[in-house]
Amino acid sequence: MDKKQIALILGILLVSAALLAGCTQQQAPPQGIKMGAVVSLTGAGSNVGKHMKQAAEMAVSEINAQGGVFVKAYNKKLPITLIVADDETKGDSAVKAVTKLISEDNVDILVGGYSSGVTTATQGVIAEKKVPYVVTGASSPDITRRKDVNTSYFFHYCPTTAMYGQYTILFVDQVMRPAINERFEFPDNRTLRLAVLYQDSAYGKGVLNGVISTITANNLNIEIVSNQSFKLGETDFRTTLTAIKAAKPDVIYPAAFPSEQIPIVTQARRDLNLNTIILAVETNDNPDYYKGIGRFGEYSILESRFSPYTVPPTSVAAADAKFKADYIAKYGAFPDMMGVSTYEGVYVAAKAIENTGTLDKAAVRDALANLQMPQMVEAIKGGIIKFSPDYREVQFELFMTQLIWDDKAGENRPKIVWPENQKEASFVLPDWYQAGTG
Amino acid sequence: MRVEKAVLYRYLTAIALGISVLLPLLAGMSFYILNVAIIMLTLILFSSAWNFLAYSGQASLGHAAFFGIGAYVSTLIARATGFPPFGTILFGGLVAAFIGLLLGLTCVRLKEWFLAMVTFGFAVILQVVIASSLAPTTGGWDGIGSPRLLPAEIPGYLAYEYYAVLAITVVSILCIHLILRSRVGLAFAAIRENELEARASGVQPVRYKLLAFTVSSFFAGVAGALEIHHISFISPEIFHAELSFWPVIYCIFGGLGTIIGPILGTVILTVVWEGLKGFGLTYARFVIIGVMLILVVIFLPRGLVSLPEEIRKWKSVRKAPLGPDKGSDR
Amino acid sequence: MALDFGILIQVLFWGLYAGCIYILLATGLNLIFGVMKIVNFAHGELLMLGAYITATVFVLSGFNPYVLIPFTMFVLGLIGIGVERLCFRPILGTGKLNEIFLSLGLIYIFQNGVALIWGDDRQVLNSPYQTISVPIGDIQLPLDYIIIILVTALILVGLYVLLRRTDLGRALRATSQNRKGAMIVGINVERMDMISFGIGSGLAAAAGTLWVVSGQVFNPYMGSLPAIKAFAIIILGGLGSIPGAIVGGLIYGIAENGAAYFLGGIWKDSISFLILIVVLIFRPTGLFGEEGE
Repeated sequence: MDKKQIALILGILLVSAALLAGCTQQQAPPQGIKMGAVVSLTGAGSNVGKHMKQAAEMAVSEINAQGGVFVKAYNKKLPITLIVADDETKGDSAVKAVTKLISEDNVDILVGGYSSGVTTATQGVIAEKKVPYVVTGASSPDITRRKDVNTSYFFHYCPTTAMYGQYTILFVDQVMRPAINERFEFPDNRTLRLAVLYQDSAYGKGVLNGVISTITANNLNIEIVSNQSFKLGETDFRTTLTAIKAAKPDVIYPAAFPSEQIPIVTQARRDLNLNTIILAVETNDNPDYYKGIGRFGEYSILESRFSPYTVPPTSVAAADAKFKADYIAKYGAFPDMMGVSTYEGVYVAAKAIENTGTLDKAAVRDALANLQMPQMVEAIKGGIIKFSPDYREVQFELFMTQLIWDDKAGENRPKIVWPENQKEASFVLPDWYQAGTG
Repeated sequence: MRVEKAVLYRYLTAIALGISVLLPLLAGMSFYILNVAIIMLTLILFSSAWNFLAYSGQASLGHAAFFGIGAYVSTLIARATGFPPFGTILFGGLVAAFIGLLLGLTCVRLKEWFLAMVTFGFAVILQVVIASSLAPTTGGWDGIGSPRLLPAEIPGYLAYEYYAVLAITVVSILCIHLILRSRVGLAFAAIRENELEARASGVQPVRYKLLAFTVSSFFAGVAGALEIHHISFISPEIFHAELSFWPVIYCIFGGLGTIIGPILGTVILTVVWEGLKGFGLTYARFVIIGVMLILVVIFLPRGLVSLPEEIRKWKSVRKAPLGPDKGSDR
Repeated sequence: MALDFGILIQVLFWGLYAGCIYILLATGLNLIFGVMKIVNFAHGELLMLGAYITATVFVLSGFNPYVLIPFTMFVLGLIGIGVERLCFRPILGTGKLNEIFLSLGLIYIFQNGVALIWGDDRQVLNSPYQTISVPIGDIQLPLDYIIIILVTALILVGLYVLLRRTDLGRALRATSQNRKGAMIVGINVERMDMISFGIGSGLAAAAGTLWVVSGQVFNPYMGSLPAIKAFAIIILGGLGSIPGAIVGGLIYGIAENGAAYFLGGIWKDSISFLILIVVLIFRPTGLFGEEGE
């Protein structure tokens, strides 16, 4: 070994140091509000992460086009600088990414977060540094309910799995049961038979828990006759559906992602001749889903809050249509459920900063806790966006749609069938429908 | 001027240790750099543990299993008993070692790629077991919080945490180094090269292979426990295949079968990875790493560590084209 | 859980159809391993590439995807030859570990290269025959699945004819049985390597096409798990044994579905590994105990 080798090795070390320095170097930030967006640009969550990033960018550019956010402490409008970080849909990468946002980029506020597990992993660091975080993609209610971490800086701006389950089951009880009972002349006290097919993950289990707690809390006459799980990414559900069919359900509730929901619907209706109503969680409401299920999804039910093909006939209709049009014009694709909540989340964050007039994180946190602003693109219960005092969640006005075949489009199209104040059409029980038992 | 290899290594080790000790000051106590450094240290330990096993010819593709076992056991014990995490990581390592021993028993008679598949499958099965069958204890897919190594209330705690992790890592690697330098290491090398011949010369492969598995799993478990206590949250995603592949990549890159290899590989690739992220590349990052890996396997099979030697060989061949053929190493 | 006869037939039918994809993968692996004695963990990525190529051409041109099978097989055959020459040939003989590591690199490149080009959304295609079902007795069997089984059978027959009745086939078999002997007899073993890799890749491409055509979801990461199961199958069925691969594929298809039914869907993948581990504990060289090395 000689001098040249020493030089080479030292050279490698120096280059590494330079690279490391490179990734911590900030471009001199313009005087403005620094908003960190935590999204999954690679990994399992990347198809959603892309929309969350784009929606955030769109919101920020709209706000900046008006000059920015008026911050009283500086007596002028400050533009927002959006700094996007990739959590790679992994816990340790997320912690690194968030740490960088907080300590190197010095963000004032955070938005984003999709995978519940990954978001939960970052809570320790964020709570320690006391940075307000508007979570716009993760659906686990635990994020704001954890006891081992101070969750007061976390604001949940998207519905939780508990809400999905609750709305869906209430619909089943209030609308589907009477229709079924009437068609088959069942007695009123007949127990409704529900089968749940859930993804083995925080998401799927969360929905299942939401279903169970809704049934218990409201004392509903519904029995879960079959409860099957499947691994994330599963593509062949035939055997599981066979087990479900054997339990004779009246209705099936899969808690799945579109890539699983599509085969579930197709295989249930085509291969297994399951002539029941299949429900779906809002995660599935995007154009690819309608294309993928083809005619097999006819008459199925989809819980949603933002649909590519319909808008609730309420005061948000215009804003909804405008947002869709703008996003599609800019990015050429439908914004996706988490995209719209991230878009609104940015506005929520901006409003809180404006309300409190300063960039002090504790003050912004308080402003978020006390926030009251009119609904924007999505319908909120009572028309006012506000975070619940106990767990800082927002009561979204979810709705249930039924997919009806549209010859002209060559696909199903949704019609809102519940709740009453958003209804476009009445729920239809198809002719081929068979109840589980007589 | 030719410097003796041993003396050079001593210099380099001293410089490396010096930089490591001074890092918090050099980085200005940067929250971000210290975080990255702590995680990187645990990965260095993890890679060294994997390397130890590969040294005996057993290339596991499911080492995340032991990383995760150490993390879960340490977390659960710390939560249940209130023991300080610095103590529970030891238990994490021991349980991982025990399970490593059991897995090693099933693998002793297996050829390389059978072993690779069995270890991979083990991680897959373990993930389902922890996420579903043992969900009441482990919190299932929701995951559970893990007590921090040091309470955040202490000022400058991150630097203390860094030094503690650094100390544990250095001591562990020293142990690995001593074992590999001893007769045990020789036995590993013999078994790796040719098991039949090793047996003929009186080495008992089974015993040494099991030892390799046990020790490797122990350190992998300790590494996992350290990382999770730092992040303060664990979920079954820790058993993901990608985590099993990283130590493999780090070691190949740095140099299989050397002590420096895993360290060099982990440091350089982590820095490259974060640097590439800074440039905004997403999938291209993985493609680049994949290409680099293939290039290393084909052209630099003994890793970056052997780069100076390979350059020297290449140069000496060029200087004497009519000299004796350096001979194919194949 | 009473299974009436109709359901039983259907379950077996699905097991058969699911087995087809495994069989094609496993047969390709066996061919490559038989001739070259190497392990390529990135074989699943060839399946994935086949799926994407078929999907893209189908969407662009509207050709019936079944018709595209030979085309995709050809394209993947070329890619396979390229991979063999560029990546595997240089490390031939340097040890199994290197093959494993090389495969890892290939996996990263293929998966993320595809993600770069096509995006990593999960996608689904609808076959033109999707809604057609053939009634047999009082059971409805979707036409697509019948075609898939027939196509697989056709390909396997073609392979059999190639290996047993042609000179090329004889040369391939000679190389796999005794490499040195084949060299002595004048067979260009390096060409055999390339060809076997090409054919193996072609088979993976066919599997990928069938995957897509049957309406299954595909994304850049879909290849790994089927490939690993294919490995488990050939270990079980005996390295280098093509009938073993077929029987193994069928057994696996049925075992997986059985596990899903009785234990729950989450155990589906684990069952493959459990079977593998149990078998390897008792017979470290696989069920039909080939020398393997």
